[in-house]
Amino acid sequence: MGTALATLLNALTLISIFSLVGLGLAISFGLMNVTNLAHGEFVTVGAFTVYLVQHLGGSFWLGLAAAPVAAALVGLALEAAILRRLYERPVGGILATWGVSLVLQQSLELIFGRGAKPVVPPVDGTLDLLVTAYPAYRLILILIAAATLGLVAALVRFTRFGLDIRTVIQNREMAEAVGIDTRFTYAVAFAFGAAVAGLAGALVSPMATVLPQMGVNYLANAFFVVIVGGAGSLAGLVAGSTFVGGLTSVLDYQISPSLAQAMVLLAAIVIVRFRPNGLAPGRRR
Amino acid sequence: MSERAFLIVFAVCAAGLAIYPVLVDSYNLSVVRDALIFGLFAASLDLFWGRTGILCFGHAAFFGIGGYVMAILSMMPDLPQAEILGLLGAMAAAAALAALVGYFLFFGGVRSSYFTIVTLALSVIAQQVAVSWSSVTGGDSGLLGVPPLVLGLGSVRLDLSGNLASYLLVAGILGVALLGFRALARGRWGRILAAISDNEMRAAALGHDAPLRLTLTFVLSAAVAGLAGALYVAMAGLMAPDLSGLLLSTEVVVWVAIGGRGTLIGPVIGAVLAQRAQQVISSLNPSLWPLIIGCVFIVVVFAFPDGVMSVAERLRLLRRRRAR
Amino acid sequence: MSGALLEARGIAVSFGGVEVLSGIDFDLDERGLVSIIGPNGAGKSTFLNVLTGTVKPTRGTVRFRGESISARPLHRIARLGIARKFQVPSVFQSMSVADNLDVARWGTGATPAARRDVLGMIGLGERAGEIAAALSHGERQWLEIGMALATGPKLLLLDEPTAGMTPQETLATAAMLLRLRDEIAIAAVEHDIGFVRALGADTLVLHQGKTFRRGPFAEIEADEAVRDVYLGRR
Repeated sequence: MGTALATLLNALTLISIFSLVGLGLAISFGLMNVTNLAHGEFVTVGAFTVYLVQHLGGSFWLGLAAAPVAAALVGLALEAAILRRLYERPVGGILATWGVSLVLQQSLELIFGRGAKPVVPPVDGTLDLLVTAYPAYRLILILIAAATLGLVAALVRFTRFGLDIRTVIQNREMAEAVGIDTRFTYAVAFAFGAAVAGLAGALVSPMATVLPQMGVNYLANAFFVVIVGGAGSLAGLVAGSTFVGGLTSVLDYQISPSLAQAMVLLAAIVIVRFRPNGLAPGRRR
Repeated sequence: MSERAFLIVFAVCAAGLAIYPVLVDSYNLSVVRDALIFGLFAASLDLFWGRTGILCFGHAAFFGIGGYVMAILSMMPDLPQAEILGLLGAMAAAAALAALVGYFLFFGGVRSSYFTIVTLALSVIAQQVAVSWSSVTGGDSGLLGVPPLVLGLGSVRLDLSGNLASYLLVAGILGVALLGFRALARGRWGRILAAISDNEMRAAALGHDAPLRLTLTFVLSAAVAGLAGALYVAMAGLMAPDLSGLLLSTEVVVWVAIGGRGTLIGPVIGAVLAQRAQQVISSLNPSLWPLIIGCVFIVVVFAFPDGVMSVAERLRLLRRRRAR
Repeated sequence: MSGALLEARGIAVSFGGVEVLSGIDFDLDERGLVSIIGPNGAGKSTFLNVLTGTVKPTRGTVRFRGESISARPLHRIARLGIARKFQVPSVFQSMSVADNLDVARWGTGATPAARRDVLGMIGLGERAGEIAAALSHGERQWLEIGMALATGPKLLLLDEPTAGMTPQETLATAAMLLRLRDEIAIAAVEHDIGFVRALGADTLVLHQGKTFRRGPFAEIEADEAVRDVYLGRR
């Protein structure tokens, strides 16, 4: 009973993180048709922001607030300098964003040096959940992630900007014809996805190994989430995260983590064969 | 690239490689040999990417699996013909992995970006598995002490352990592979592939089985990548996990991109030049090389969308226009 | 072999709850020639797509030489001997005219037509070496018909083969098809009445997703009800 609950909470932790990282990819890959291989670096930037803030004497919470801002700024710069020119050239976009990814990784390594950076969690200890004790910080992480996803859903559903985004996705030319600034909408949507990935990076920073190269694992998993779940809806995002996160945390108990990763990849490939549009395909033209 | 241009470049390179052993010492010969192995690897990626337009971002997974199979088989103490089995096994293992990935993706209708991403993940995971499955792969430190190639067929014993012999072997394999790829690309197979990448539905309506063609091309490309990995391991004497990892996967894409996608020989030249540059730059600071690779990616996309070789083409056009 | 070459029974297609075709029966004999006409929105293109397997019918079956084609992938249907020309001219733009035809000849594994014969038939003999992108719109339509013929088909399905052609080109296309009628079966969706008149063939009129009339073109042309359909009076 206790182990079952712990496994469930472990899975929820992973699902939370994958949902947050996957959100930005669902926006760029699923909706804007851009394959952004530098997406993992938003996670890295978020984690490094927390490290830097703590290193300079600030609290974890200040770092957590600063991380999305830092990631959003990097995202805005990437969109304006690179992606905007490559919306019509998918392979060019893949190569250029990968270049950006390498440049960001190596710059971080040159600035901060090699080796993992320590991040201190804001709360220590465990919370007693009757049948099992569970690290308090992970519970906070799950709550913050769930709140963020709820907020995103509300933003897309109820605000003017959410409507604009949905319009641009449906039909870019029509959106322009009715007076929506599509370039601005793309840029903001992209930066928003980057910010959420940065938040995810900040949230994992006390539990993960904070390295300049940490982004690529999140990149791979986030792509699995989007491929398996189907790009284009929050439901697909949650379905994909649940599948990838759930499978990973269950397999982690049985086999080594890297073998678990290989299994998840295999499962993703098999799913694509039979459900090419993912488990919960969004409405696409 | 026209037939004539290809043959001229090919002949010039072949002649250069033929005299090279006279000009340099044994060590430099082995450096070029290793660069040529990566050239073969680049050509194998170009066979697929150049013809189908579908980018494989995890080609090092095939190079790596070939390397591990070669290392493991040729280090088995009692295996007869271990080297030959190693080379064949390396190609077969890479081909099998590609067949698995290709079957599920191509027959599932996956193309373009999705394929690129899944292959990227393949390379990431290949390296992780190589690191963690240490009982077989030697983990982080890899497999050391792979014996050099000595092929024995009946009473004939071919000792390819020396630098000159192994250099000639690699150059020979590369030459055969390039001519073979070229024939394939210009022949019926290549033209059908070009048609599929131009308009897949039209090709299917004419009776062409596009998923099968793509899968088989991918399998061939992977098998040659596996062979390159096996040759590298036999000549370097060791196998390490990063030879299946993302950085090498990425570098081979750069070699093809700067050499000129679809030209087959351009990627080989790109690989050799990049190897040389890497040695110079890495001796200054090891972190600098990936940084420069990253910059090259960005520059290639914006300045030379068709590869550096296309610059020569563009200059020629410009000169011809001026002359008029 | 007994019976028709192509046999469609009770074909119905719905897209998102809207019934585009409802209960169409259609037969085509070997070496038959039929024009399929009807006002915009009658379901002509959808019907042709069902016959070629690109649209799976919601109900009904299509049999070609006695075999159902419903569950087969596109290339298998082509290999049975069904060739098609798409509505939007779709040739391999980056390749030469000759290569386009060669790729078509290699497709089905059937006995393909010789390249020279096809080039002569579609009147592009002089331009075999040119890149397909350099052809005019009408020439591209012909090239695509030529590609369909090059596969050595038993049935040729054409979706608006003369769209965008000049009147002369249209008549030349009709003459080309009439020359083929001794060799293969042809069904052409078209709304250029001049073309359909030039073919002067058996004609199927679709209206609101149903078979409205079928008969020789002369009868169809004289039919008041068909005119009413075209003029929107029905």
